[in-house]
Amino acid sequence: MWTVPKPKYGAGLCAEGQIAVNIGGVRAVLVGDVLKRYPESRLAELLRSSARDSDVVPSLCDDFDPARGEFYFDRDPDAFKCIVDVYYFGEIHIKRGICPVCFIKEMEFWKIDQSVLDECCKSYLSEKEEELREIATKVKVILEDLETERCVTRAQRCQRFLWKLMEKPGSSLPARVVAIASFVSVLVSAVVMCMGTIPELQVEDAEGKLVEPPSLEAIETACMLWFTAEYLLRLASAPNKLHFALSFMNVIDFMAIMPFYVVLSLTYLDTSSVMELGNVQQAVQALRIMRIARIFKLARHSSGLQTLTYALKRSLKELGLLLMYMGVGIFVFSALAYTMEQSHPETLFRSIPQSFWWAIITMTTVGYGDIYPKTTLGKCNAAVSFLCGVIAIALPIHPIINNFVVFYNKQKVLETAAKHEVELMELKSGREARRKSRD
Amino acid sequence: MFASLPTTKVTMEKSFTDMNKVGSRSTSSLPPEPVDILQSKTCFRRVRLNVGGLPHEVLWRTLDRLPRTRLGKLRDCNTHESLMEVCDDYNLEENEYFFDRHPGAFTSILNFYRTGKLHMMEEMCALSFSQELDYWGIDEIYLESCCQARYHQKKEQMNEELKREADNMKDREGDEFDNTCCKEKRKKLWDLLEKPSSSVAAKILAIISILFIVLSTVALSLNTLPELQDTDEYGHASDNPQLAHVEAVCIAWFTMEYLLRFLSSPNKWKFFKGPLNVIDLLAILPYYVTIFLTESNKSVLQFQNVRRVVQIFRIMRILRILKLARHSTGLQSLGFTLRRSYNELGLLILFLAMGIMIFSSLVFFAEKDEEDTKFKSIPASFWWATITMTTVGYGDIYPKTLLGKIVGGLCCIAGVLVIALPIPIIVNNFSEFYKEQKRQEKALKRREALERAKRNGSIVSMNLKEAFARSAELMDVVVEKSERPHDNHLSPSRWKWNPKGRAASETSSNRSFNAQELGSPNEARVSSPQRLNVQKLEEMYNQMAKTQSQPNLNAKDRSTRAGKQRDEIELGAIPDHGPTVLGTREGVGDMKSLSSIDSYISCATDFQENPRFAHSSALDHGLQEAHRFSHSPAATLVQHSSLKLGQQTKVERESMLFPTSVTKPSYSENARKFFFSGNSSKSLIPKSGCRSEGESGPSPLSDSSVLSDRSLLSPEVSAYTTASSRTPPKSPENAALAPTVFTFHDSSISKYIDADTDDDEHLRDISDTSPSEHLLAGSSPKRSSNINFQKGSNHLEVAHKMMGQNCLFSMEGIRGVAHENHVGPEMTRRPKLERGCQNTLDKSL
Repeated sequence: MWTVPKPKYGAGLCAEGQIAVNIGGVRAVLVGDVLKRYPESRLAELLRSSARDSDVVPSLCDDFDPARGEFYFDRDPDAFKCIVDVYYFGEIHIKRGICPVCFIKEMEFWKIDQSVLDECCKSYLSEKEEELREIATKVKVILEDLETERCVTRAQRCQRFLWKLMEKPGSSLPARVVAIASFVSVLVSAVVMCMGTIPELQVEDAEGKLVEPPSLEAIETACMLWFTAEYLLRLASAPNKLHFALSFMNVIDFMAIMPFYVVLSLTYLDTSSVMELGNVQQAVQALRIMRIARIFKLARHSSGLQTLTYALKRSLKELGLLLMYMGVGIFVFSALAYTMEQSHPETLFRSIPQSFWWAIITMTTVGYGDIYPKTTLGKCNAAVSFLCGVIAIALPIHPIINNFVVFYNKQKVLETAAKHEVELMELKSGREARRKSRD
Repeated sequence: MFASLPTTKVTMEKSFTDMNKVGSRSTSSLPPEPVDILQSKTCFRRVRLNVGGLPHEVLWRTLDRLPRTRLGKLRDCNTHESLMEVCDDYNLEENEYFFDRHPGAFTSILNFYRTGKLHMMEEMCALSFSQELDYWGIDEIYLESCCQARYHQKKEQMNEELKREADNMKDREGDEFDNTCCKEKRKKLWDLLEKPSSSVAAKILAIISILFIVLSTVALSLNTLPELQDTDEYGHASDNPQLAHVEAVCIAWFTMEYLLRFLSSPNKWKFFKGPLNVIDLLAILPYYVTIFLTESNKSVLQFQNVRRVVQIFRIMRILRILKLARHSTGLQSLGFTLRRSYNELGLLILFLAMGIMIFSSLVFFAEKDEEDTKFKSIPASFWWATITMTTVGYGDIYPKTLLGKIVGGLCCIAGVLVIALPIPIIVNNFSEFYKEQKRQEKALKRREALERAKRNGSIVSMNLKEAFARSAELMDVVVEKSERPHDNHLSPSRWKWNPKGRAASETSSNRSFNAQELGSPNEARVSSPQRLNVQKLEEMYNQMAKTQSQPNLNAKDRSTRAGKQRDEIELGAIPDHGPTVLGTREGVGDMKSLSSIDSYISCATDFQENPRFAHSSALDHGLQEAHRFSHSPAATLVQHSSLKLGQQTKVERESMLFPTSVTKPSYSENARKFFFSGNSSKSLIPKSGCRSEGESGPSPLSDSSVLSDRSLLSPEVSAYTTASSRTPPKSPENAALAPTVFTFHDSSISKYIDADTDDDEHLRDISDTSPSEHLLAGSSPKRSSNINFQKGSNHLEVAHKMMGQNCLFSMEGIRGVAHENHVGPEMTRRPKLERGCQNTLDKSL
């Protein structure tokens, strides 16, 4: 091409300041005045520089055809048809069918700002981008796993191995065994906790108080030791200790272990009679409730539960709405019921706060029957409150369910997409490496 | 040549103008020199790509970015032959290259060259997009992650659907009667009892059966009313004698029904295992066990124990209400849904269990210090939590403290949430399945109506429609899933016929003729006539379907005598490849085949069998087999279901004949073509020779005219033929041929990719067409089974390759098995044959 004399780019300008462009085989003639509306865009720049026969023209377009006087761009004609709208209407709509991510790339090529994209298409774009972000996080996780081989020192390799063993049940058979053992121990400890409260199984201690039988306590201790060992191993093998300690799952793990040791130390202090007896007992009781946290440990082993937490996290707004609806309903209907039931001599509604309970039970359609209206007006009120309760629950629950279903269905697909992404990256890096070696 | 055939001249000319449109390359002129091509490529910086009519313009430089793909290769092709391998047509003066592909997908593919990012058109079907990718030689792994999620989701969905379809097909084909003893009667009985829609009597029987079920359940519940109960000598309540009689009658009916079903069932073990039959058995057994226990223990004094056992068995009588499932689609789909969504059900139970655990322990700690509380322990408060979370609320236990009430309120709301979450997924499963079931029922009815109509008189149009509908459902499965291995056989023909055809003669007709042949050109000559290809395709589909659905069947067959024979044939085929000159007679034989449908069919079978004759030493055995095969349609008449199939195939062939024969530009040319092929052919000698001696009477011209007359009789068909003769831009013949190319393009392509990609990619391509499939295999069992099918057929292919044989012959060998299946006891193959036939037909139309 260098032997060919420099073409006269000015010839590309038709009469009346028009410019002919050929985008991937589609010819378009554009008016220069219109193009100047966005002076920083590629076409406007082309117009300016071609008028001056400048040298930058070849960098702006891919080819120039002097015979037909048109500038050639090796781009997608479909996207261009949408993008050129910006010169006329000041806004861009993504044509249905073109991937928005791809479209944004085209816009960047034509040097058009993203802000001109219309609102209706922006949501579409953001949806896609969010999906991409999710995939990216998954890819990051996978890549981190792959980095194992790069660890040099022995200690690092050990740490990696341990981390995989504890955190990635799918990676190897021992890891799966560990996961199953941990799952079983969670179940066993939960069952033991429940069994310990059955009065028939309890035994009296020296002070005549009912406590858990020693056999159950032994199992409990064993489970606790296992949990502790697990937690410590995880902590030791974690690449980022702070990140690990703050993550949701590990906070739950910690909550499940902590009460046991606190109770242990308190009873030790108790025997050494440093503190008052009653206080210690109360503290122990409170801490016993925290043992329930161990049930949440199951979430580590069930993707469904993780989905649930994710869906709830995503739909906090809807949950708030649900609670607000319920709160308003409870307040209104309990107050109404209280006033209406005052006429009855043997009323069960003694105060408004007391009738809150009735309102909750009625609105959620549970209906224990411990408190119920006796007057006709009160009964009418109860019927209305029941209907309102059904609606108040049903309306905000729908988006929550939707979130859950969408996420549940998407999870698996995203997983595969992430794996593909990793493979694609490998492929590209491999190709680059090959190219380099060839050069 | 054309002057002699004024009627077909128009079509012929049309095809020639199409050919001439290629511009510099007229049919009579020589292909352009490599110098011209090189010159044209250096002249233009850009290139015009015409894909399915949509012009695109792109820089050569851009195409060079991916040199191993189809478009990248276009740059490197400097000879006419290599160019024609890559694109479908070209015009050097216009600098335009034509590809006969879907234009929509190409936009995104071209953008991949431009930007290096592969995105997918939103509205494109994932499957068709993947086929396009294969054609252009791009691996689907390059798909950007934003589109990949959608792509895989769709692919997964599709695969699941196909799997379900395949399962249904297998189920439908399951009830074939292979045992010999009073086959017909058993078949009739089976239809009567199992298919209520098959006849009025069957319907009445079904209604009676339902009435008995209802009656027995009513009797069962009435029996427990204290007013109706009698007291026996020990003072215990016992059954009312009248109701006991009703019970006995019902049980007798159920027993009889079950036994008859069992006796008439084609596969006893499968019947025994069927869930509905297990329910039937469970509904009957308790009665007999009760009788046995009470009779045998009357004198013995373990009265209490026996009584308890009897009570348990009485409870099991409730199971008979489930017998209604046999008569209700809704109940069946409910059962199926529950089975399919056990994952979600598990999730629901897990959620509930966790909620119950948490709230019961919370409420226990809140309430345990209360006076005479009912929350005595955590297990005791489980009940309260369950009743609260499901919002039943009996009120036998309820919290009394403030803390307990707060926990109770939270429990209510959490319960509502937790139960509501997984249920939509189950509901979705149910509705999907229910829809599917309804659709199948409708399809079944339609098929039966069609059958009846066909028995009364041939309805070609319906038949065609049906064929279309079916193939629309199944075709993709076939092509996508298991066609690949076979396709690889085809790829040579796809890519090599052009140069070969031109080498043989410069006429377009001959070129297109060669195109039809399967396998590489050298050996493909062996099977010359055009319609044999249709047969061949059909056989391939059969073969494919077989490997897909019953992989072990092959192995079984292989071990039999027939299998051994086939091996002999295959081995014999290798040395026998020397070309022998014997063409004319065979050509005549083929012409005759057009004269009537019956002779066509027989001729087709001849062709199928002939190669075996040529190479098999056990000639008489082959003869016998051919005999049996030609009778197979008649044999199918015996059986109710097979009858329709036989007829259907027949009609199909009929309809298939019309378009091909009419669109043929000239009959004499046809003959000439066959002559050509005959030059190098060596098989088909004995049989067709005999035939041509016997009935080569009618002249070719009159034949074709007769045929066109016949086609005019049915408007559907004539419309069809005109449509096919009108199809631009290629000659009608090409249009008729296109199917072979299109159906299998995707394998030819996978091979193409193999050649294309880098070494490491190459490895992966061989091991599995796409890594995604590999990945998915781990995640879903359905998927993995699909892959297994593919693998199975891959083995086949490998075996053929190892024999160093042309695909034609290996196909031949396999085909032998298929024949024996038609004839022998395994009538199961029949429907598949039909299906395969329809599919090919559609494509060829």
